[in-house]
Amino acid sequence: MSRLLITVLALAASSLAFDAAAAGNAEAGKKRAYTCTGCHGIPGYKNTYPMYSVPRIAGQSETYLVNALNAYKKGERKHATMSAQAMSFSDQDIADIAAYLSTAK
Amino acid sequence: MRTLPLVSIALLALSPAAFAAGDAAAGKAKSTVCAACHGPDGNKPIDANTPKLAGQHEDYLAKVLRDYRSGARANAVMGAQVAALKDQDIDDLAAYFASQKGELKEIPHK
Repeated sequence: MSRLLITVLALAASSLAFDAAAAGNAEAGKKRAYTCTGCHGIPGYKNTYPMYSVPRIAGQSETYLVNALNAYKKGERKHATMSAQAMSFSDQDIADIAAYLSTAK
Repeated sequence: MRTLPLVSIALLALSPAAFAAGDAAAGKAKSTVCAACHGPDGNKPIDANTPKLAGQHEDYLAKVLRDYRSGARANAVMGAQVAALKDQDIDDLAAYFASQKGELKEIPHK
């Protein structure tokens, strides 16, 4: 096997590994999270039918947020607005949003 | 209609029961099991997979616990933990964790 081919394969493998981990970028997540503030940024904002306060999610555990968004995306966790939002997000978007929210001060 | 006032009074009498107020002190006494994963005050989870509860909205926590109990929200660990909880237990736990100081807050606008 040529050295070039080995290098190419090694690069391909490392980029795959990076994708699987999908490290979040808080700066990118902050831009993506702008829409979230429409509900999760308003103190006392209520979900209707049924009525309850939308959760506080800034400062929440990072992996928990990733799992929550993926659960909405797959329909395992049901909420019309949240599913619609989550379905528009890539894995990278979700990682970025979770990185931002978990560290938002 | 003569029955209307009676119906109104009956509804008023029912509404406090439907939104049973939680007792934070009683909730604290029931929260020992929760502390194992979420931390004693609900603000020190054992890993990033486990949510912080301290300072979360009381009515949201009560809803989530009921959803775990009914299976509307599926989670093996939480489903097992809440299976035996009564409504009053759920409301007490929600009141306790909501009253704790923590890092949860609304998303900042800046």
